[in-house]
Amino acid sequence: MKTHILRVLQIRPSRPALTASKVLLASYILLAVAAPAIAPQNPYDPLQIYGWEASSPPGTVGSGGFPYLFGTDGLGRDIASTILYGLRISLVVSLTSAAIAALIGLTAGVSAAYFGKWVDAIIMRLVDLQLSLPTILIALIAIVTLGPGVDRIILALIIAQWATYARIARSVALSEASKSYMDAARLLRMPTARIILRHLLPNSLAPAITLIPIEVGHAVALEATLSFLGLGVPIDRPSLGSAVANGFQYLLTGQYWISLFPGLALFGLIASINLVGEDIRHSLDPRNKSR
Amino acid sequence: MITQTQTTPLLRVENLGLRLRSAPNSPAVLTDVTFALERGEILGIIGESGAGKSTIGNAVLGLLAPEFQQTSGTIAFEGKSFGAMTAAEREALRGRRISAIFQDHTASLDPLMSVGAQVEETILSASPALSKRQARTKVLDLMARVGIAEPERRYRHYPHQFSGGQRQRIVIAIALAAAPDIIIADEPTSALDATVQKQILQLLRDLVDETGISIILISHDMGVISEITDRVLVMRHGQMVEQDVTASVLNAPVHDYTRKLLAAVPRLRIPDVSANSSDGLPDNERSAQPATHEQFLIAQNISKQFTAARFGWRLGAGRSGFALSNIGMRLPRGTITGIVGESGSGKTTIGRIIAGLETAPSGRITIGDKIFDVSRNGRRSGLLGRVQMIFQDPSVSLNPRMTVAETLNESIRFGARVRPDDRRGGAAAMMDQLGLARSLLSRHPHQLSGGQKQRVCIARALLARPEIIVADEPTSALDVSVQAEIVRLLKETISDENVTMVFISHDLAVVQEMCSSVYIFKDGRIEDFGTAEFIFSRSDNPYTRALIDARPRRFTC
Repeated sequence: MKTHILRVLQIRPSRPALTASKVLLASYILLAVAAPAIAPQNPYDPLQIYGWEASSPPGTVGSGGFPYLFGTDGLGRDIASTILYGLRISLVVSLTSAAIAALIGLTAGVSAAYFGKWVDAIIMRLVDLQLSLPTILIALIAIVTLGPGVDRIILALIIAQWATYARIARSVALSEASKSYMDAARLLRMPTARIILRHLLPNSLAPAITLIPIEVGHAVALEATLSFLGLGVPIDRPSLGSAVANGFQYLLTGQYWISLFPGLALFGLIASINLVGEDIRHSLDPRNKSR
Repeated sequence: MITQTQTTPLLRVENLGLRLRSAPNSPAVLTDVTFALERGEILGIIGESGAGKSTIGNAVLGLLAPEFQQTSGTIAFEGKSFGAMTAAEREALRGRRISAIFQDHTASLDPLMSVGAQVEETILSASPALSKRQARTKVLDLMARVGIAEPERRYRHYPHQFSGGQRQRIVIAIALAAAPDIIIADEPTSALDATVQKQILQLLRDLVDETGISIILISHDMGVISEITDRVLVMRHGQMVEQDVTASVLNAPVHDYTRKLLAAVPRLRIPDVSANSSDGLPDNERSAQPATHEQFLIAQNISKQFTAARFGWRLGAGRSGFALSNIGMRLPRGTITGIVGESGSGKTTIGRIIAGLETAPSGRITIGDKIFDVSRNGRRSGLLGRVQMIFQDPSVSLNPRMTVAETLNESIRFGARVRPDDRRGGAAAMMDQLGLARSLLSRHPHQLSGGQKQRVCIARALLARPEIIVADEPTSALDVSVQAEIVRLLKETISDENVTMVFISHDLAVVQEMCSSVYIFKDGRIEDFGTAEFIFSRSDNPYTRALIDARPRRFTC
């Protein structure tokens, strides 16, 4: 595991796109962590916002004494600051939901494979049901029933994502469960929990784990889509998706910056997560050990 | 000039050297391989895993993966070097002049295409001028030639409607379709049962004798090599050890490694029947055990049927759905009982039922004075945990994420509940006993060789202190030289530890060496049983005789 982490941190000049993604992703994370310290404005503190400076183009120096690097939105909020704050929400939501979805999906998938029969039937029919509906629809239904809120959107993303992990974990666990070492464990009559946790689970983890980085990218996109539709995080806790949505109505009037810069930030974030995620997936894959 | 062409062999490989591009410092894959193949000849290439024998075949076929780099030597077909040929010329050789048969007959055929169409496709691609009708006639001829009965009817059938042996015959027909000069046969019979293997080998020999094609037969099995090859090339670690006429290699091996290989092949001994029949012994060999032993494990009336819904489509036509029908066995304490059978005979299923891993709708098992109902889950009936198993493939028998020490200690910890009074030395002592270095305790399975892994599996089984061990083909995934060691080790430890063993195998010679009594399984029934001595010398059961006759003659004495 240590070597994998080192490998991800490594900068390899032979792969410029990957290196750029790593640098970009690292800066995103740093910016998100440091947002309150470095953002010139808290875009959700009404006292710091000057309404008459709404829709100022990029570069305008505002009453706060600092230039609006990316301009301001229709309410006069600094877009650069909005992006920094939005980044925090986007990252927290996607990382948390991917991690919890993986945990639930793995447990469900491995249990389905080990117990078989009705346990398998119930879990896998749920998975089928979930996978037969478009992800965005499931998230929409969840948000509509659960109501808005950051915790609700995390829950919605978990509901939308666990099935993918469950299906992969089950298929791997099924093939592992048929191997002789599992028979050997059963022959020793050790407790079922031990057979699952010590023998089956560790050997079924890898393919599901390698999904996580990719699914984080999906989660960011999904959360942004929901927020764009106005169903995501509440208005006082903005994410990148809602920042893009804020400028939607101004696009035709030529005030491109309100949507463009958050959109670019979102694009960079998803692209870098996917590229780095693909690299992590590749390095975790035991078949690529030699490289 | 004319004499020159006459002496040019069909295929000549000279000083061939290969290595892996990605690992330039590791030993070469092949070093200085030199041989010639004449017309109408079968050349055998034998070696253990990693010897590079399949790589030679792929090099001749021009199918080497890009990571191989040729470091030296030439391959020449009819005197013309591969290196001097254009890509189109080499393309024209592959599949037309040089074709191949591989081990996995299922993967070699397209499951969605009738076998006739597959043979026809190859014929038409080799000679596009043929009309559909001519091609079809050729297909039927070929199918008849490789021994498929009723080719007109079978033409439209799909691969799953054929048995393994028949599928391999179809693969041979496809290999013959372009009328090649050379067929590379890479382990063509390793996935087949012994009786079928014999027929396929005979077919290959007949083809060579009648049509004058040449075959390179790649195998790990000295028996296969001894049956049909004219000359043999012995390979080890990518180097040629010995090359000569097969008979001289078998009778007078020059190199130590060849001697070791030959010595490791288990030999079936058929005692002289006439000498035994006159000694006036009562005819009680059928009782299957020496009278001095108490009955320890008794299996009664065990039947099991595969449900059609789950397995129906896989069963070939004419096969019954019975996995086991009315099996009864008696195992004396402290002995080794053999179960012999071909694939699908139910030998593995009965082993797993005895171990409590599988249930059967009817039947019971008595161990000592305890009776277990096999229709109940092994955990509930208490059968599970009393028996340990040693499995066929050591590469999947050990948890890849646990060290040897962790695996063995787990066995000690959970096995102790079965025989709490019986606590002898720990994992380290067991390692010593099985000839494993104690330093291996901290290793993970992937850092062990196949033989070492199987020893660890034996250690795990013994450390659980079982009274019964079921060994399911424990040597068939191992190289020949390792097989012999494992067989010896099993036999020794079994007698030391006073364990009763069920030894499941398809290999009669190994069974003869290991077992005091033998059950022969066929299609889920017990076809024959008796003491080993009775089975191998006096049984007149036709199936038993067929199994014994399927053994390579060279290794029967």
